[in-house]
Amino acid sequence: MTTFDLLLQQTINGLSLGAMYALLALGFTLVYGILELINFSHFNVFMVGSFVALGVLQMFGLSGQDVILTGLPLFGVLLVAFLVTMAFSGVLGVVIERLCLRPLRNVKGPAAMITTIGVSYILFNVILLTVGADSKNFPNPLPSIRYHIEGAVLDFRVLLIWGIALLLMAGLYMFVQRSRIGKAMRATAQDAEAARMMGVEVDKVIMMAFFLGSALAGAGGLIFGLYYNFTSFIIGFTAGLRAFTAAVLGGIGNVPGAMVGGVLIGLIEAMSSQFIATAWTDVIIFSILVLVLVFKPAGLFGRIAPNKS
Amino acid sequence: MLTRREAAQILLAAAATAAAGTPALAADKTVKIGADLSLTGADSQGASRVRNALIMAFDAANEGNAIPGYKFELMTLDDGTATAGQYDPAQAATNARKMVSDKDVVASIGPQMSGAGKAMTPILSQGGLATITPSSTNPDITSPKFAEQYRPAGKPIYFRTVTTDAYQGPNMANFFAETLKVKSVYILDDSGAFGVGVADSFQKQAEAKGVKIAGRDRLDPKAADYTAILTKIKSMNVDSIYYGGVSQAGVKLAKQAYDIVPTVIKGGPDGVTSADFLSGAGFPAVEGWYTSIAAPHLVEDTKAAQFVEAFKGKFGDAPDDYTITAYDAALVIIDAVKRLVAAGKPVTRETVRDSIQTAKVPTIQGIVSFDANGDLADRTVSVFQIKKDTTKPLNDVSAQYKYITVAPQS
Repeated sequence: MTTFDLLLQQTINGLSLGAMYALLALGFTLVYGILELINFSHFNVFMVGSFVALGVLQMFGLSGQDVILTGLPLFGVLLVAFLVTMAFSGVLGVVIERLCLRPLRNVKGPAAMITTIGVSYILFNVILLTVGADSKNFPNPLPSIRYHIEGAVLDFRVLLIWGIALLLMAGLYMFVQRSRIGKAMRATAQDAEAARMMGVEVDKVIMMAFFLGSALAGAGGLIFGLYYNFTSFIIGFTAGLRAFTAAVLGGIGNVPGAMVGGVLIGLIEAMSSQFIATAWTDVIIFSILVLVLVFKPAGLFGRIAPNKS
Repeated sequence: MLTRREAAQILLAAAATAAAGTPALAADKTVKIGADLSLTGADSQGASRVRNALIMAFDAANEGNAIPGYKFELMTLDDGTATAGQYDPAQAATNARKMVSDKDVVASIGPQMSGAGKAMTPILSQGGLATITPSSTNPDITSPKFAEQYRPAGKPIYFRTVTTDAYQGPNMANFFAETLKVKSVYILDDSGAFGVGVADSFQKQAEAKGVKIAGRDRLDPKAADYTAILTKIKSMNVDSIYYGGVSQAGVKLAKQAYDIVPTVIKGGPDGVTSADFLSGAGFPAVEGWYTSIAAPHLVEDTKAAQFVEAFKGKFGDAPDDYTITAYDAALVIIDAVKRLVAAGKPVTRETVRDSIQTAKVPTIQGIVSFDANGDLADRTVSVFQIKKDTTKPLNDVSAQYKYITVAPQS
């Protein structure tokens, strides 16, 4: 492999990681934009999503690596898997909001954030105790088609994941920009009080933010499983922390910022493994985060909404 | 007239006769044995087998009245935590304190993991409590070089019924160089005490054997993505990869290595000789991996046939080699206490430790005896290769790992 091939291959690796981080980062950003709350339960909504997806695929009779689907059946299975996983995760997010966070809405201080950490651990332990600690083999129904670009290899799987992630992110962006409830979300993010006075149902908007963010995390969980062919109760932490970093890097509360931040973190991770050492990845990621925050405290893109303070 | 003292003596004698006449009286002295195992998390399957082996050994001793007047009682503690997802050294240290502070505990078995062992030994040493590990293989723990750290009170308290990575890593390096004839190797570890240690010792011996070390890197076991480092390895055109670590990172490494570097020879230590590795990574990713264990291969050995059958019959689960070394560890403790009682000595932590030190016990793996540091006198490392056997469950360690050979010793 030439240096060019290597760079190309690591870019492909980094973009795949980045797509997943970006989907997760969006959930942090949506909720933060509206509630100014860092929702740590998001880490493990992602993890639960991957187990829901595993269950759905198993219901289709897929297990292990032996069943390969193509054409319409593949499309159908994936469509159902994404819809069910996203719906389940979205509802899980709404339930968490309704049961654990709404009662604390008017409590000042870190109570709500600490609650999200608690919820995160509850999800984590429930999965650990019900499905067990060992890594679960995740079915891979995608045909193994490989494209060679120069010396680099691009798997069909990777293309599909990029496509789905882009589609979801574009859909979210359009929704937030164009739809009625999207406008209400932006209005609430700018000034909840004023939005309420203008007749925006703030509770509904908050529920929507949790639903959308958690549904994307669920989609991320399914993509994680398809890409890595395993899932385990522990996958939420590293992915969640890096996605959170991505959201902060892009400017937390900023939707396009979260996408760009996710892709950047993915690329940094791949390149630092190539040119420095995997062992140093976290040091490098977080050093870059600190540097960006020192010089641009609002993140690369800043917040779209002016700071409410 | 009877004096008061004579009367007391007669009464005592009568009581003693009564006691001897009825077996398994409450008057039996209880010998409490601690056990520290990783029952929660990624290594839980192996841990519950070890627990079952210990239950089997001590129940047999109690029911067979192996030491008249003494009964064994097992106190099992879990060093795995949900947060760590596997063994947690801090929990292991807490467990060690718990055992030491219970003055009835005279010996212990475990831990399974070297990382836990490192956290426990200073506490066990201060408490004078000997432990026998059935599977932790990091050599530092028993090495005189680190005596100040791991046995501050002086005497060796960490015994093993397996050999150490001082042999597991190097003997596997010999196998790579002499048997597989590899010319270059990229070495990875999983950042744990065990993984780093075994990878270091592999690296040293591979260098000595003239194998080119293409590089060395460390994996974060909680991260999911190793494609970047594997792409880097691919660009180096190495013959082989050696991974020092356990299954948490190993599963992901095996899967992604199969996609990126399918033809490169891959090997690892006993940390990837497990059902978790097979079921987590699955076929075809694990096919062809070479793995080792720091013990003779016993479950297929005729010497162990009787034990294997009894174990399957009792628990409905096939034992692995470290289940047998755990059973052996229990036999060593039973024998140590038996010799003390036979010699009329008191059964205390100190005497049990000394008795273990001088053990020469016939066990399933053969005669177990220890060197001056507590290491097993026998240094056998066995090598396996994963080959799919579709007639058996795909996560059955004894069916899917084919025994190859005893690794060449240096």
